[in-house]
Amino acid sequence: MVTFGNLSQFGALAFSLLAMVLLVAGVVRNDLRWIRAGKRSLVAVAVLATGASVALGYLFLTDAFQVEYVASYSDRALPVFYKATAFWAGQKGSLLFWAWVLSLFSALVVHNNRREPDSRATPYVYLVLAGTLAFFLFLLCAVTNPFETLGFVPRDGQGLNPMLQNPGMVFHPPTLFLGYIGFTIPFAYAVAAMVTGTTDASWIRKTRAWNVLSWIFLTVGIILGGQWAYVELGWGGYWAWDPVENASFIPWLTSTAFIHTAIIQERRGIMKVWNMSLILLTFVLCIFGTYLVRSGVLQSVHDFGATGLGGYFLAFIVITLLGGIYLIAESYGELKTPGALESYLSRESTFLFNNVILLALAFATFFGTVFPLISEAVTGNKVTVGPPFFNQVNTPLFLVLLLITGVCPLIGWRKASPVNLRRNFLRPAVAALVGGAILLALGVGEPYALLAFTLAGFVAATIVQEFVTAVGSRRKLTGESSLTAGFRVLWRMRRRYGGHLVHFGLVLIVVGITGSSAYKLETQATLSRGESLKIGRYELKYEDFKTYQKFNRTVYAAVLGVYNDGDRIGQLEAERRYYVNARQPTTEVALRSTLVEDLYVTMPGIGRTGEITLKVAVNPLLIWIWIGGGVMVLGGILAIVPSRKRRRAS
Amino acid sequence: MTRNVVWLAALWLLAAAIVPARPALALTETEVAEGLLCYACPGEPLTADRCRGGDQMRAAIRRMIAEGKTKQEILDYFVQEFGEEILTYPPKRGFNLVAYVGPFVGLLVGAAVAAVVVRRWSSAGRRRSEPRGSGSPPTRLDEKTRRRIEEELSHLDEEA
Repeated sequence: MVTFGNLSQFGALAFSLLAMVLLVAGVVRNDLRWIRAGKRSLVAVAVLATGASVALGYLFLTDAFQVEYVASYSDRALPVFYKATAFWAGQKGSLLFWAWVLSLFSALVVHNNRREPDSRATPYVYLVLAGTLAFFLFLLCAVTNPFETLGFVPRDGQGLNPMLQNPGMVFHPPTLFLGYIGFTIPFAYAVAAMVTGTTDASWIRKTRAWNVLSWIFLTVGIILGGQWAYVELGWGGYWAWDPVENASFIPWLTSTAFIHTAIIQERRGIMKVWNMSLILLTFVLCIFGTYLVRSGVLQSVHDFGATGLGGYFLAFIVITLLGGIYLIAESYGELKTPGALESYLSRESTFLFNNVILLALAFATFFGTVFPLISEAVTGNKVTVGPPFFNQVNTPLFLVLLLITGVCPLIGWRKASPVNLRRNFLRPAVAALVGGAILLALGVGEPYALLAFTLAGFVAATIVQEFVTAVGSRRKLTGESSLTAGFRVLWRMRRRYGGHLVHFGLVLIVVGITGSSAYKLETQATLSRGESLKIGRYELKYEDFKTYQKFNRTVYAAVLGVYNDGDRIGQLEAERRYYVNARQPTTEVALRSTLVEDLYVTMPGIGRTGEITLKVAVNPLLIWIWIGGGVMVLGGILAIVPSRKRRRAS
Repeated sequence: MTRNVVWLAALWLLAAAIVPARPALALTETEVAEGLLCYACPGEPLTADRCRGGDQMRAAIRRMIAEGKTKQEILDYFVQEFGEEILTYPPKRGFNLVAYVGPFVGLLVGAAVAAVVVRRWSSAGRRRSEPRGSGSPPTRLDEKTRRRIEEELSHLDEEA
């Protein structure tokens, strides 16, 4: 199987290079036959990369510890589910996953274009895809081969890091990667559009589903990462502004900006240079994110082993960036559109300002992430840039973004009339202000929290008002019931309401973040059996202690009764786990999650005489972060369900 | 009516400034720990760290919170003990100020560029929409019709 994997991998590299040669030849000779052969080579890459991936999966499932990568990330005791997903636990497998998924996406692009006569642009799309594939396959074959063998068969593998043995961690890397990889397709179309001078909005229309889908995957990846950190790392938070987290967040910001201005180009034909720049930036940042994951350049909890890939990635990034900038400069004349805005008060201009904020956030995050390197180079001082910095710099920017999120979708195109402004914003503004005043009266005194809740209320109110008005008009016209009219409005205008739903998800996330960060309660205590501790309205009683074996671990669990005003409302088990092959025990979080607040318990210590140390936190509203993430994803999906008209047309 | 909202907003801001905020919630260990690295594990944030050295630091934080010290006082204590390298954020002085100011300068420059672009575009837009000849004057719509058109347009918006 090792030979099969190696052969498939090398074959895939050979075919990706062949595809490049054939496509270039096809373009130079203006011969469709060469281009078709190039397309077929791309499909062959997909088949061979699938072969290599199946081989690696098989090696994991059959405990083939002669393979260095398998021996490093698996062991005999590992449950089958985690054996299969250890595939992407390390760098080598992650890169193979990248190449494999990109090859499948490329084959899908070829398939989707099968009926369209080969336009002048498509060979260039394939060429970019083949080039990117060749880069990753080259790394796999020549620099960091997952099929490399040890020369002997160890009795057992080193096992998977216990922290990674969690469902969230199983799905977090691949979803994030799917997002990263997906943006290669719009980037390829953008390059093709510039090379061939077809810079109208057709490339944006063709890649809209790819854009939004990649954005959805990126969102899911980020949310799952946060969820994993929350339930697995045990420090009570979900986002630590770790370099690798930032590396996924930055392309999320730039792609969010791109999705917005792409709408403007689609509808008004302007902002072409901007959109080209944004997709170039997003693609490069996705590659940067992939590279940063295990590069070791910046200290991060994600560094599970650094290798010398940096130079290759840096070269690829620099070439892509310079090539992209050259292309944009070269086709500037065609991209430049005589801008025609009628007013500052128009959707176009507010979109532009939303882009400024999104990019400022991306810049702030990027700048903070690489600042340790800059500082060391300039002053020789090593500084750490962690949560206090990012919270301080990014929070005001987020609040402005939130305000614009409410304004943007409801302001009219071209020029907003006073009637439009009054009709769309008066009631939401009043509702938000009244809501804010009530919160203030209730004692929400933290300025940032009050502002965040009020702005969140404003955005939510604009969305609700728009929906209620639309449902009302429909009911008047058709006489349908509210429910039917509601569903029909959502479905018939799904692109619009998909966007609104994404914004509504953001509102929920803001509520969750604000509540859990501004009003968190925390305590720590050492208890003997029968003793209890109090936090907020809860009382936790240490009732029992259990020890048992499960799968590949020994578990020590403290059974805690949860009381509220003397009533027993539930039971929690805080665990310490000792995994086979792991040097240190891990703490497993006990969580009681409600819509109002999370009761979050970890057990950092077990004493010799049976007493336990508990760290307990109450995180208000935290669950709304996950619910908001879900709503965002739903909105994204709703926005890309194709309409019947468009399906027929295609 | 718009004026009323502006008044309401102003009043509300005034109220926010006057009404005494609820006494701040008690300082938590995490709030302080977020600002610190573990002294024993280079580069490891104290919030994520689980070593014995980290335990000592966290215990010290809890002790100082119980003594009624503020977040800044506790952080200062650790800086005195271990130097500024113990902090998870660059102290606000010297070259580090670049990190704090840079993003906002970026934002201002970006916003200024966007404002200039919008201004140029909007003046170009106005020039274009100016009537060229002495054709018939635009028909005036009555308020009701105009409202209806706007409403229908807004529903059509994304569906096109």
